[in-house]
Amino acid sequence: MTTKQSSKKQDRSYLNGILSAIIPGLGQMISGNFGRGLLIIFSILTLSGLTIYTAAQRARFPDYQISAQIFITLLLESIALILFLLAIYYIVNRFLGKEEFARRVSQAFFILIAVIVFGLVFDPVYRMAEPVGGERQVYELTIYLGAIIIACLWLWNIGNAVQTSKTYTPSMMAFILLSILGILVVGSQITQINLPKAIREYKDTQIILQRILWPWEAAFDYEASDLRAETKVQAPCPDPAEGLQPAKPGETETWIITQPACGEVSTRDMKGNLTLGTKLTISGGGFEPGEIAYVEWKNPIGNAFTPRGVGETEIMVGEDGTFTSELHVPDTVIPSTAIGPQYHTLSVYQRGVASFTGDLSKEMNLALQAMLETIMMGLMATFAGIVISIPFSFLAARNLMQPIRSSLLGFIGNIYGLVLGAWAGVSLGSIFTPMVGGLEKSPVLTAFIYLILIVGLGILAFRLMGVILEKITHKLPTSLSHLISILGLVIMGLVVGYILGQAYAHGVITITRGENVANHMAPSTAKIGAVIFGVLFAVMGIKIGPNGQVPTGNLIYYGVRTLMNIVRSIEPLIWALVGVIWIGPGPFSGFIALTIHSVAALGKLYSEAIESINPGPIEAIQATGANRLQTIVYAVIPQVLPPFISFTIYRWDINVRMSTVIGLVGGGGIGFLLIQWIRQFQYEAAGIAVWLIAITVAVLDYVSAEIREKFV
Amino acid sequence: MLRVENLTKVYEDGTVALKDVSFSVEEGEFLVIIGLSGSGKSTLLRCINRLIEPTEGKILWNDVDIISAGDKELNQIRRSIGMIFQHFNLVDRSNVITNVLAGRLGYVNPLWSLISYFSPQDIQRAKQVLDQVGIPDKAYNRADELSGGQKQRVGIARALMQSPKMILADEPVASLDPVLAHSILGYLEKINQDQNITILCSLHFLDLVQRYASKVIGLRDGKLVFEGTKEDVGQISDERFKQIYGEEAQRLNVG
Repeated sequence: MTTKQSSKKQDRSYLNGILSAIIPGLGQMISGNFGRGLLIIFSILTLSGLTIYTAAQRARFPDYQISAQIFITLLLESIALILFLLAIYYIVNRFLGKEEFARRVSQAFFILIAVIVFGLVFDPVYRMAEPVGGERQVYELTIYLGAIIIACLWLWNIGNAVQTSKTYTPSMMAFILLSILGILVVGSQITQINLPKAIREYKDTQIILQRILWPWEAAFDYEASDLRAETKVQAPCPDPAEGLQPAKPGETETWIITQPACGEVSTRDMKGNLTLGTKLTISGGGFEPGEIAYVEWKNPIGNAFTPRGVGETEIMVGEDGTFTSELHVPDTVIPSTAIGPQYHTLSVYQRGVASFTGDLSKEMNLALQAMLETIMMGLMATFAGIVISIPFSFLAARNLMQPIRSSLLGFIGNIYGLVLGAWAGVSLGSIFTPMVGGLEKSPVLTAFIYLILIVGLGILAFRLMGVILEKITHKLPTSLSHLISILGLVIMGLVVGYILGQAYAHGVITITRGENVANHMAPSTAKIGAVIFGVLFAVMGIKIGPNGQVPTGNLIYYGVRTLMNIVRSIEPLIWALVGVIWIGPGPFSGFIALTIHSVAALGKLYSEAIESINPGPIEAIQATGANRLQTIVYAVIPQVLPPFISFTIYRWDINVRMSTVIGLVGGGGIGFLLIQWIRQFQYEAAGIAVWLIAITVAVLDYVSAEIREKFV
Repeated sequence: MLRVENLTKVYEDGTVALKDVSFSVEEGEFLVIIGLSGSGKSTLLRCINRLIEPTEGKILWNDVDIISAGDKELNQIRRSIGMIFQHFNLVDRSNVITNVLAGRLGYVNPLWSLISYFSPQDIQRAKQVLDQVGIPDKAYNRADELSGGQKQRVGIARALMQSPKMILADEPVASLDPVLAHSILGYLEKINQDQNITILCSLHFLDLVQRYASKVIGLRDGKLVFEGTKEDVGQISDERFKQIYGEEAQRLNVG
């Protein structure tokens, strides 16, 4: 045992030595003395860093790169030289052997040579330093000595690594720690973690962050005994330009006019670069002399803001209470659905003493309204999600679905019936709906009629066909009826395969080879598909056999489960994008997005609750002669109620959270306001929104935890 | 009158649970099925009301073949066969009276039952049945608040609500202590004698069998290895005993 161990260690020791030669300390870390290895590598790094730093500092123009280059060169040369000298020393020792005196002399001689060699070698390296401005950068002994010391340390470390591996046992821990270290290093590079940057840039953003973090000043209405004057500016300019008559000077106490009275808005592109709009010359009078007047812009939607980057926003009023200034029309939103002339309001005001009116400010009101909208959106989406997902969850519960089987004929009858019924529904629908005005005049009624007809006739035909087929084939011998069912399957297979073949051509080939090739190949791929699937379905039909059962329950289960998983993996924010494209921005599209995701998520949770129920009561209720629906109501539902409630509350929680941010992509609610305010630099209003979101989520969190405790 | 002919159940993985079991039961009998765990007792009982689908064979219940019955017919057959279980199989979160009323599900209008509406007569009857089994005061307690013996009595009450002609009992007293076991079996005996309801019951302990059974059949590895009256049970020789229960079995006297 011991010999094997020692020979194993023997093999490892050279490997360790090599490892430590490449990265000093690595060998020690791996062979079990993690601390020493770490110490070695940190020492070498620190010493190298210090050497380079000191050398660079002493140069007139500190250049770390050159210092580092020189240092590394010196280091490698030192290592090489030391190794060379050690080799010579070893050889000399071998040959001079026992003779003491001769050895001493040769050693002394040897040291002398070493010093000379070092001196000779390193002088040209010194000359690597470029003369700058006629003067020579002097890299002092620091870098020279540093390189030698570190070289010695490095070499010692190699020997030590070999030694360590003989006495220490390698540990898994070292590998794990090293791997984690490696991942952290690489990871922080890739994610561009840059702590100094964060700290550096904090100072600049401090002001804005403070405004967001404590925005309550903007929450309340202050009655400003302001001196304010307003004038209307039209942007874009109407065509032909209607003459906007600004108030003439002297008519009102405080007044401003702009020249011209209409213009084009500035635009900001994706990078934030501003293209200036029309320049307005503002003149005003009747203000408090010697006090600063502030410029405010209000766009046609009613958002008031301080225009940025388009001119002076703080104007010093002259001795006579008048002023002149220039301002470009700022970049602001003009709703694309706007019709008619768009009036912006330019106002200039001087702050009087602000007195608190006791009312909430406009922004606060908007935010509160939006918060209500958000909470309702989350609530409604949860309700809709519950209602729609319950039937799906039963279909996705394996223990309920697995026993559902149908005979082969029944299955075929059902499918054909479904298709026929749906087709009948569509045809009947197209006959009936023109009578009520069709899609243009009454879309809801039309959709409703179509839905009822398709679903109703589909289900009816579904059941009917199955029954009819079974009645017909009841009289026939089994082989014949089996043949009929196989035939039915083959036809289904042909149709399915044909459609899939076409889809493949138009979908895949269009991409890989272009549309012309796709169109050319479509008929042949369709035929190939039809043949493949026809054969496949026929084989399945034969395999199932005349008395076999088609596991329809399982098919439905897999289908529904897969669909739900796909829908669930698409985050609500993405669904919101779909909603916004379909319906437009606003809470309705947010509601739709949340509902779709909730249905899939709740469906999965509910179905898992159903799968985990005790089968005993189901047996018992079945034994009393109850039908399937009664079994579900009496045996399944009471058992799944607690987890149902728990999951529902959980989902409500998530939906409210999601609804706060779904506005960011246009889904309405507080997120919508938040992103608008941020874009318009109204950071205090944005701060109010952030606070409201945080408060709401915290309160709802608490409430839902309490409910869950009481009920579950 | 129940006649089982050549009943066989083979599971999909090949396990043979029942092999060619044939026996008959007259009306009003108290038939006990004995055998080791895994000998097929539960499977046999569950095949009779088709909670498990038999692979082969016939089960004739008053000359109606249960196995070939359609769905609707099956429900009608099931409602006249009550069943009680070893682990009671009550709906724990519902209250006792709802559990008992569930016995009526085969008879009531399905739509009403979906919203938990039962006629006053049904409710009255439920209370009567609870009284019969001795727990009238627990009617509105939640089922999981009851003790084991009380739960089994609720199970019996549920079966009685079906006005059954036959009751299947799958090891009804295996989870109960000996005193309770006698109590429960006493109820079954009473029902059997007063209302002439056929009882098919599987039991472990032979002294219970001797006390209550009127006829006994024994299963081993899915096959019928014993058929006899209760007197025959008392006279089972040790060798015969080992035939039924296997080589390592020893007689045990309990209670």
